[in-house]
Formats: sequence, structure tokens, C-alpha cells
Amino acid sequence: MSAAAHGLALVVLVPIVGGALIPALFRRFPTAAWGFALASSALTLAISISLIRRLLAEGPFSYAAGGWPPPYGVALHFDRFGAAIAVFSMITLLVLIFSRRYIPAVVPIARIPLYYALVMINLGGMNGFLVTGDLFNLFVFMEVFSVSAYALVAMARGPQAGLAAIKYLLLGAVSSLLVLFAIGLIFAQTGTLNMADAAGRLDAAASIVPTALALGALTIGFMVKAALFPLHVWLPDAHASAPAPVSALLSAVVVKAGVIGIIRTLQTFSDHGSLQLMPLQSLLIWLGAIAVLWGAVAALVQSDLKRLLAYSTVTNIGYIFIGLGIGSATAASGAAVHIINHAVIKAALFLAAGALIHQSGLRHIDDLRGLGERMPLSALALGVALLAVAGVPPTAGFVGKWQIGLGALETGRPLLMGVVIVGGLLVLTYGVRIINTLFFRPPLHVRVVTSREAPPSMLAAILLLAASSFLLGLAGKPMLDFVAPAILPLTDTG
Amino acid sequence: MTLTSLLPLIALALPIIGGLAALGAGRRNRRLGIAVVAGTAVTTFLITALLALAAKDGLLREMTLVQIAPPVWIVFRIDPLGTLFAATVSGLFLLALIYAFGYLPDDRRQWRFHAFAMACQGCMIGVAFAGNLVTLLVFYELFSLLSYPLITHDRTRVAVAAGLKYLVYIITGGAFVWAGIILVFHLGGEIRFLPGGLADINGSPGLVLATFACLVTGFGVKAALMPLHGWVPDAHPAAPAPFSAVLSGVMVATGVFGILRVMFEIFGVSRLIEMGVLPWLGGIAGASVLLAAARAVGEDDLKRRLAWSTISQMAYVLMAVSTIGGQAVTGAFVHITHHAFLKGGLFFCAGLVATVTGATRISQLRGLAQRMPVTSLALTVLALGLVGIPPLSGFISKWLLGLGLADAGAMVRLGVMLAGALLAAVYLWPIIYRIWLPTDDPRFAHSHSREASGWMLGILIATGMLAVILGTAATLPGFPLDLAKNAAQWLVEPPP
Amino acid sequence: MPIELHDLRPVLAPLISALCAGGVFVMGTSGRWRAIWSLAAAGLKFVIVWSMLPGTLAGSVYIFRVGEILPGLSIAFRVDAFGLFYALVTATLWVLTTVYALAYMKGSHALKRFFGFFALCISTTVAIAFAENLFTLFLFYELLTVCTYPLVIHDQDAEARRAGRKYLAYTLCGGAVILAGMLLVFHSAGTLSLAEGGILGDVDDHRVLLLIFLTLVGGFGVKAAIMPLHAWLPAAMVAPTPVSALLHAVAVVKAGAFGVVRVLYDVFGVNLLKSLGFATWLGYLAGFTIIAGSIMALRQNRLKARLAWSTISQLSYILLAASLLTPAAALAAIIHLANQAFTKITMFFVAGAIEHNTGKTHIDQLDGIGYRMPWTMAAFTIAGLSFMGVPLLAGFITKWYLSLGALAADSGGFVALMALSGLLNAAYWLPIIYRAYFRETGIPQLREETPWMLLAPIGICAGYVILLGTGAQAPLMPFSLAESAVRLAFGLEGGIP
Repeated sequence: MSAAAHGLALVVLVPIVGGALIPALFRRFPTAAWGFALASSALTLAISISLIRRLLAEGPFSYAAGGWPPPYGVALHFDRFGAAIAVFSMITLLVLIFSRRYIPAVVPIARIPLYYALVMINLGGMNGFLVTGDLFNLFVFMEVFSVSAYALVAMARGPQAGLAAIKYLLLGAVSSLLVLFAIGLIFAQTGTLNMADAAGRLDAAASIVPTALALGALTIGFMVKAALFPLHVWLPDAHASAPAPVSALLSAVVVKAGVIGIIRTLQTFSDHGSLQLMPLQSLLIWLGAIAVLWGAVAALVQSDLKRLLAYSTVTNIGYIFIGLGIGSATAASGAAVHIINHAVIKAALFLAAGALIHQSGLRHIDDLRGLGERMPLSALALGVALLAVAGVPPTAGFVGKWQIGLGALETGRPLLMGVVIVGGLLVLTYGVRIINTLFFRPPLHVRVVTSREAPPSMLAAILLLAASSFLLGLAGKPMLDFVAPAILPLTDTG
Repeated sequence: MTLTSLLPLIALALPIIGGLAALGAGRRNRRLGIAVVAGTAVTTFLITALLALAAKDGLLREMTLVQIAPPVWIVFRIDPLGTLFAATVSGLFLLALIYAFGYLPDDRRQWRFHAFAMACQGCMIGVAFAGNLVTLLVFYELFSLLSYPLITHDRTRVAVAAGLKYLVYIITGGAFVWAGIILVFHLGGEIRFLPGGLADINGSPGLVLATFACLVTGFGVKAALMPLHGWVPDAHPAAPAPFSAVLSGVMVATGVFGILRVMFEIFGVSRLIEMGVLPWLGGIAGASVLLAAARAVGEDDLKRRLAWSTISQMAYVLMAVSTIGGQAVTGAFVHITHHAFLKGGLFFCAGLVATVTGATRISQLRGLAQRMPVTSLALTVLALGLVGIPPLSGFISKWLLGLGLADAGAMVRLGVMLAGALLAAVYLWPIIYRIWLPTDDPRFAHSHSREASGWMLGILIATGMLAVILGTAATLPGFPLDLAKNAAQWLVEPPP
Repeated sequence: MPIELHDLRPVLAPLISALCAGGVFVMGTSGRWRAIWSLAAAGLKFVIVWSMLPGTLAGSVYIFRVGEILPGLSIAFRVDAFGLFYALVTATLWVLTTVYALAYMKGSHALKRFFGFFALCISTTVAIAFAENLFTLFLFYELLTVCTYPLVIHDQDAEARRAGRKYLAYTLCGGAVILAGMLLVFHSAGTLSLAEGGILGDVDDHRVLLLIFLTLVGGFGVKAAIMPLHAWLPAAMVAPTPVSALLHAVAVVKAGAFGVVRVLYDVFGVNLLKSLGFATWLGYLAGFTIIAGSIMALRQNRLKARLAWSTISQLSYILLAASLLTPAAALAAIIHLANQAFTKITMFFVAGAIEHNTGKTHIDQLDGIGYRMPWTMAAFTIAGLSFMGVPLLAGFITKWYLSLGALAADSGGFVALMALSGLLNAAYWLPIIYRAYFRETGIPQLREETPWMLLAPIGICAGYVILLGTGAQAPLMPFSLAESAVRLAFGLEGGIP
């Protein structure tokens, strides 16, 4: 078989192997690690794009690792959700570009290769998580990206980062255990670890209790990963204290794994005859709604820029879960698109914030007054991304909100539409506050006056992401069309 | 568009332009300014007088100037009623403008007075020539506002207070007129003045009545119909004498003019009778006649007394019109014209006396004849004229009014009119009496005759003579009586 | 039915201004380039907008579809008679405002930012006018908020920021409510296209319709400053005068009023609204706003504050007229867009000129100002008289049609309201004129006329006020365009009864 045929395996293997090689190869030349990481992530991106082209041409396809066909072997499966790997690879690539000048300032030089290694392994874990068709591998890849994420959080200096990493680790470990427990239950019920297979056999299981228990355990486990309210408590600390590129990765990519895990779970259990998913979905809606409001209100009172952005992630995860909970074609496809769009926006936000913080050395919002004058491009990017995260049309953030709001109306929940809109308004409130601070207030801090615009490597990443978070809004229709077939299994339950 | 149909526009624009020109010229060269003012005023008077004569001979023109909104046009027309009023206005203004040269101190503000007064004149001519309600309203509002700087010209506290009162009344009145016009257009689909009234006014009787009430109330403010007269006794004394003359002589009449247009050319005689509003109008006018005259009797301030008299005299006109008899309407028109010159003259006298002696109260007039014989003579003639002593002009109009009322069988109104005339005698006689009574006040006994300067005295003599001529030669063709007959016929028995 | 033509101009008009705004941002450090780009933004748009007039009068509708960004949500531009009328008003006024602003703002800080956003506002406003659907309208409506915000807080002091906060809070909440309404419309009608006769005809649920009405009218009503959603407007007075002119006369408040009219006529449609009866309540609210706004204006001593409250009052004329649902009243609503704009902008320009020349901001300081700045105050007088409804001036036309429309709708009470409002207008404009001309100051007033760059826009606007009041056939403000807009909205064939 040619390389193209093995693409599905390569998209996982390239980053993981590449990442694993970095500490070994570049112990002596830490700065060169950047180029290698960049190259391997670019390769990953190229492979994933070729996969998407194949997907569009042939529809979903599988790859049997080692030639064993499912249900016996380790199967990799590529569907339209899997296409998210292209976006995640892209974001990782941009994060790496950004890291070039940023990381040496916050990470001891000896640990720089380790940093790049972890980022690459994280990407590999994500990719694997997305393309696996097998429950156990799902767990394994989850552990890969989770553990690398814990380590990445701990990368930053200072005691806070360590504490945050431990908090993240503890909750993450519990969630991993729950997922593992659920996988065990499902295997016991169905005798298979292949997801597609298990979905078919669950219905035939003798007792409904273990099935329900498995569903619950999976849901809660992934909810922690996704940081859905009230299991989001680890997120603000971790995302705020990690280095900015790590925060970008965590917020944009890693939490999305939890969301996709929930989607996979719902898809797996959706065929089940006697187990109704409705109550679960209602619960998701409620939690999502609370998350939207709670996250927005909590963000409003933050004074630390990155912490504020972390709470904004809580809000947006809430949106996605509202959409999934509603489950109608409109809302669910909106939620699916929002996964991608939010990834781009949030990466833009964290990287732009990182640039501002890096150049000025200040991280409190009030200290940043007048920085727009000194760093116009970074501040502009942050502004655009803030408008996008608030869902101002026609930015990327609007697509999901519109679809979810419309879905709420379709299913007769006008109040939910109100929540969607009020949430957006609250987000806009702090967005405006930050924009105001940056552009329209005289400098308060002397370091603002001496700050200079971020170096080109940072700027490139930031501007590209900010532009995407605007332009993706214009591409709402093709994106929705793209995810629509993948969403269908979900909507049957709604 | 012939030159003839442009004449109303010229008569309207000429004073406005002349006023501005005088403002520019007069501040540099007084003589030139005077020449401009006098020339413009005379030309305007000649044009309007010619138009009045021509209209009597059957010249009727209508000129559409500009469309301000699809149903609304600015239209001017030449008809007997309008031309008669225009001629009266420009005649009185001619006198007042020239009088003002003597009356006002010779300074820069004098030219401002003339500019405003002449703009005011132009707008009043515009009211006279207006061919529809909106055009009338346009110029009515404009001259009302332009009068404000004239009333407050003295810039005293009293003048400012009177000006404020004037504005409040007039603007409120304007709002009523405006609402009435809207209602007319809504109900009748037309705002042009049509002989015999609009063809149909569709609407509930209540609404039609409300329309009429709005218009009469609005114009009634200007016409000083009681109880809407509040501004008159304050504004007249506050304004400089030449403008008081105009206020009393023609501005109040403009309100009456508006009511006439509305009654005869919007609603029409038959509809008015059907609506049953005429007795009410007559009643209110009658009450105004008596009450205002009674107030005049008790008033010591000369100009105020004259102002009350104006209210009373103008109410005659409305009272006569409310009978709708041809004779009475003729009398009404004649009275408007004759009264304009009589009352204007009286105000000229009052102004002159006040400037020369400082006396503004009737009780201070004692022995005036000793010092200012010519003025006193003119004052006497004019006062007698207003009382209605033959053969002065006031007699003619009162006689016609009385005849008209008797003709229409309105005996109560006739009685009211006679009582009013009696009261007029009561309030005017003391003036005459005091003037001619010799005084033993040592300050005055030995003083020499101190007549005023030429301008003002000349105007006084002119008005006095006018009172005599209009009285003795009233029936000559081309005189107000002749024109008024024609106008009354135009209104009461419109040509098909 | 109008002929639909695909044409680039509907999108070119906003785009070219946006590009010029970009020019300001890039090259605006130099005063000369700033002026050139600003004038180009205003001037080019002016030419493009006016070039569409003959075609529109002939019955064509220009369309340009940019693309669909979400299923059913497309960005598209469509130039119909009403939209073009609004665009003409803004395009014309914008040239004047830009000239005025260039002179007025000389020497201020952050001019690049100021003129950049100023030019962006031009772009968004015309895009609002040309929006084919509710979504495009909303999009640029929100963008307008964003673009005006830096202008409002231009002074960057505490007061300006407070005002800016208030402005944003009101308008963004309004925007959110519109979004809710838009979702409801899309959900129940399946489309957001603005169409003559409305798009909600097939919706039966009375509650849904009420909710749509409340959200859309309420949302757009924020910018139209209908009470009780008006509080941002007087606060926003802290902005520099050209911005106040922009906010109060041209762009922002008019965008709100324009939106409400669009919602009433092109989302609901006249017939549906008549059967629903919601508009009556809007009429009452607008009537209340007219009177209450005037009374508040009466109590202000700061000239610009009085102007602001007067704006609140005047805007409700448009809403009232639109809510009466009769052709004549609709005509009043559309024409008042122009009348109020030209009249109010004259006043703001004058207020700015006075402040610029003499530093006077309060009415009780204006004694004798008419002798210092005679031409400026003459323009103010014309504007004041227009608001009072003196015939031959613009305000009269509005009141005329509005009252006729009210009578046709059997709401004669509004005629009395018009009269009362005219009186209140007299009560708050005349004292200013009185002070300017008739009040003794004791000191001789030196002639100190406004510089010509400020005076010329003032004079042209005042001239327009007269032209609007006299020229139904005037070539520069086509009355017939407003008429054809009304004909389209009401589906009439002939003239307007």
C-alpha cells in the first residue's frame, strides 16, 4: 500500500513519533527543535488534508491497522467529525509558529525540546482520539493527550502552574477512570470494543442497568474533559496559568476532545431501543445554559486577561452542549460547526493575549490600558476575536449561535433562545471592556509605553487566526453542509 | 403667465426687497434710505390700488407659483375681496412708514424697524392675495412672527413682556388655524378658496363643526375676538406708535379677513346656515362689542383705550358678517377700510403726543390744544369719525352696518351696535373734551405751541383729511364703498 | 411590479467608502491625505448613490447578492425607493458633515482614528439603506454601533467614557433583541428578505407575531430613541459636534427609524399590521415620546442637550407616522427622515460653530449672538421655524402629511398632538432666537462670523430646509421617490390619496 493509503495511520503516527524523537534528537540544540516540530506538524496537516479530500470523494472510510478487519483488529475510522483533525493540526502548526519567540521567555532553555515534544504528542493523541473506531484505543489516545496536557500546563514557571496542573491531573484522572470503567462495562455487555459494532449489540444486552451506567460514566468522564459546568473547575486555573500557546491549545483543541467524546457516546447509544437519551439531552441543555451564563458572568468579574478568556471557554462549551442537547439538525450542526469555529477564535484570543502579555509583561486588564497604541496589530486581532467570540455577525462565532438559537425555536424553547442571546450579550460586554481598555484609555502603566509590537512570527499566527475567525463566519453555509451528514445519527434521537 | 397675474407677487415682494434695500442704503445715507422706503411704499400702494380697481372691473386671475407638496400649492389670486384688503394694507403702511421717520430716533435701529415693517407689509399683502388656505397660512404665520421684533422694538421690559404674550397667543392661534386647514383638506379634499365654498365637505357634523371652530378660533386670536383678545391691550401700547397703528388698523383685520375667507369661500353660506354657527358667531361678536367698549371706557391709558376700541370695532365687522346679508357684508368691508385709517390716525396722534409732551394718559391731555393745535384738531376729527359723526368716514361705515343689520332683520344685533356706538362716544368724548378744555396748569399755560416735526404732522393731517374725504365722497366710484360692494357681491352672491 | 436589475452599484457604494476609510487608517497621519480620503469616501459615495436615482424613479430595483453565509442568511443589497431615499439623505449630508468635521476637528487628538471611523460610518449607513434582507440590515446596523463608538468617546475623558458605555449598553442590548426577533422571523417565515407587503403573512400564531413585533420594533426603537429606550441619546452629547450631528441627524438614530419602518412595512406589511393592531400602541408610545421629549427639551440649558431631547421628540414623528399605516402618514414618515435630518443637522452645525467660535455652550450665554454671527444664527432661525411647522419650511410638510394620515386613520387626536408639539417646539426654539437677536448684552457685539468651512455646510443645510419645504418638484430631493416608496409599501397604483 502506498503512503496515501496509510494516511489514516500516519496522521496519528507522524506527530507522536516526531514528538517522541524531539527530546532525543535535540537535547544539544534546543532551539532547532522548533523547526522539526514545525515540519512534522506541517506534514500532519498535509496528510489530514489529503484524508479530507478522500473523504469528500469516497465518503467515510476505515483502515484496519495491521490488516485485521474489524471487529477483531484495531480499526481506524475517518468520518466527517474526524475532519476536525485538519483544523486541530492547523492550529497546532500556528501555535508552534507562535511559540518560537514566546516559549524561550517562559520555559527554561533545557526544557524547550520537551515542550515541543509534548505539543506534538498532544496533537497525535488528539488525532488518534478523533480517528479511532475502537473504544479502548479511544481511551488510550485520550490518556496520551491528557497526560501531555497536564505536563504542558506544568511547563510554566511558578507555583501556580504546578498547583493548576495537579488540579487538572486529579480531575482528569478521575474522568479517565470513569471512561475506562464504562468501556469495561460495554465490553462486558457486548463483547466488542469496536464502537460501530458495540452500538449495534448494545440493544441486545440483557440488562439495561449496566448500559445506563456505562452511558452515565462516559458522559461524566467526557464532561470533565470538556469542562462542562459544573465540572469545569479545573479549567480556569489550568488555562490561565499555562503559557499562552498551551492555553490556546488546551482551550481550542483539548477540551473539544471531551465534546467529541460526548458526541461519539450519544451516537453509540442512539440506536438503543429501550434507553431513552432524552433526559440526558435535557440535562445537557440545562447544564449548557447554566454554563453559558455562569461562564459569562464569571468572566465579567475577572481582572486577569487570560483567566477571563478561560471563563469564556466555559461559556462556549455551554453553547455547544445546548446545541447538542437540542439535537435538531439545525442546532446540532450549529454546535458541530461551533466546535471548529470556537477552536479558531479561542486560539486567536489566547495567542493575541499572549502576545500582549509577553510584550508588555502585564497581564491585568487594567494595566493594559492604551496598549492598542503601541501594539496595534495584536490588539486589533484580539478585538476582532473578541467580537467573534461574542457572536457578532458575520464573524465565526455567529454561525453557531444563530443555528442553536434557531434550533431552540424549532423545538419550542424560546427561553433557550433568550439564554443564547443574553450569553452573547454578556460576552460582548467584557469584549467591549477589553477593547475599550486597549484602545480608548490613556496608558496607566509605564511598561505599556515602552512596549513594542510583537515579532513577526507571533504576529503571523495571530493575524491569520484572527482573520479566520472573521472569515469562517462567511463560510457558514459550506461548513454546515459539510457536517450535516455526520450529524444525522444524532438528530434521530432529538 | 402674464404680467398681470404676476402683479400680486410683485406687490408682495416689492416691500420685502425694498425693506432690505433700505436697511442697506439707510445705514450709509439717510436720504437714500428714506427715498427707497417712500418709493417702495408708494409703488406698492399704487399697484394694489390699481389691482383693486381692475378687480372691480372683473379682472380675476389666479397664479400657481410653486408646489410644496403634491396637494399643496402656493397660489395667488386677484379677486375683489383680496385686492381691497391689499390696498387698505398698503395704504396704511405707506402712512405708517413715513410717520416712522419722524417718530423713531434717527439711528441704526430705525432701519431695522423699517426693514421688518416692510417685510411685514409684504406678508400681509401675501395674505390678501392668497389663493388657498395654505398660502394664506404661510404669510399669516410669517407676518405674525415678523411683527414680534416690531412690537418689542423699544426693548423695554414692558415691551418684551407684551411681545411674549403676543407670541404665545399668536402661535397658539396659528396652531389652531393649521389644524383647521388639515381638517378642511381631509374633509373636503381641497384647500382652494372657491366662490360659494367647497363643493362637499364630507364628515360627521361634529367634525365639520370642529373644523370651523378651529379656524375661527385660530383667526379669532388675530381678530381679537373675545375671549381671545388678551394680547391686544398689551401689544398695542408697547409697540412704537407707527406699528400700533398698523396693528390696530390692519393686523387685527387680517384675522377678520381670514374668517371671511373661511366662512364664504371654504364653508359657503348655505353650509354655514345649515351648521347653525352663525348665531353663535354673532353672539360672541356682540358680546365683544359691548365688553370691549366697556373696558375702553374705564381705561385711562390712551393707547390702551384705543386698543380696546379696536377690539370693539372689529367685532362690529364680525357681527355684521354673521348676518350674511349683502348689505351688512358691504358695511363690514367698508368698516374695515375706514376703521383702518381712523384708528391708524388716532395712534399716530397718540404717538405724537407722547413724544412731544410725554403724556400717555388721558388725564394728562388737558389743555393739549393750546400747545399742539394742529395735532389736537386731527385727533378730534379722527375721534369724531370713529364715534360716527357725519359726514366723517366712520359715519358711512356705521350707517351701512346699521342698515345692513336692519336689512337682515337682526334687531338685537342692531341694538348692540347702537349701544356700542354710544359707548364709543362715551370713551372718545372725554379725550376731545379734555384736549380742548383750557388748563390753568402754570407749566402749560404760558408755553408756546410746540408742534412736532414735519413728517409726523403731515401724516396726521393726511389721515384727518382722509377721514373727511372718505366720508364726504364715499360714493364716488373707485372709493372703498364701491369696491366693498363689489367684494360683498362676490362673496355673498358668487358668480357661477 | 418593479423591474429587478443586477448591478454592482448597491455594493460599490458602501465598499468604496470602506476602502477610503482604509486609506484614512493607513495614510491618515498626514492631514492632507486624511482630508483627501475622507472627502473621497463621502464624495464617491455621493456620486454613486445619486447615479441610481434616475433608474429607481423609472421603476427599476438594483440588486446585488454577495452570498449566503448560512442557510437562509445571505448578504444581499437591493436598492428600492425607500432605501434610496434614505441613502440620498445620508449621502448628501455626509459630504457636508465631512467638510464641517475637517474644519471643526482641526487640532484635536487621534484624528486618524476619528476620520477613519467617520468614513466607515458612511459605508455602513448606506449599506443599511440598501440591505435586501433583515440579516444584512442587522449586520450593518451592529457594525454602525461599533463604528460610532470610538467617535462618541473621542474625548476619552471620564464623561465621554460614561456616555460611551451607556451608548453601547443600549444599542448592543437593542441589537441582541433584534437578533432574537430575527430568529423568530426566520423560524416562522422561513426567510428574512424584506419584501413589500411583508413576509409574515402566513404566520397565524398571534403570540409569536406579538413577540416579533416587540423584539424588532423594540430593538430598532433603541436607536430611534423611542421612550423609554432613549436615555443614551442625551448622554451621547459629549461627543464632538460633527459626531453629534452624525448620531442625531444622519446615521444612528435614522438607522433605527429606518429599521422600524422597514419592519413595519416590509416585514409585517401594512395589511397584517392593520389586522393585528399592534401599531396603534406604537403610535401611542411615539405620541407620548413626542410630547415628553419636548417637555424635557424645554428644561435644558445646554444647547446641545436641548437639541438632543428635541431629536428624541422629532424621531418619534417618524415612528408615529409609520405606525398610522395610511399612505399619507407613510409619506410623512419617509419625508421626515430627510426633513428632520437636514433641519437638525443645521442646528447641530450651528451649535458647534458657536462653541468653536465663542466657546459658549449654554443657552443663557447666547444673548446677542445673532449680531456676532448673523449668517449662522439666520440658519438656526430657519431650522427652528421649520420645527415649529411654519409653512414653506420642511417641518410643515411632515406635519401636513402626518395629520392627513392620522385623520385618514381615524386618529384625529394626533392632529391635536401635532399642534401641541408645534407649540412646544416654539416654546423651546423661540427663546434661543429671542436671546440671539433681542436680548441686550450691554457690551457691543463684534462681528465674528463662522469660518467658511463651517459656514458653508450650515448654509447649504439651511437652504435644503427651505427647499424641502417648497420644492415638491425640486430636483435635489425627489419627493416622487418618497411617493413611489409609499406606493410600493401600500401596493397602490395611482397617486397617494
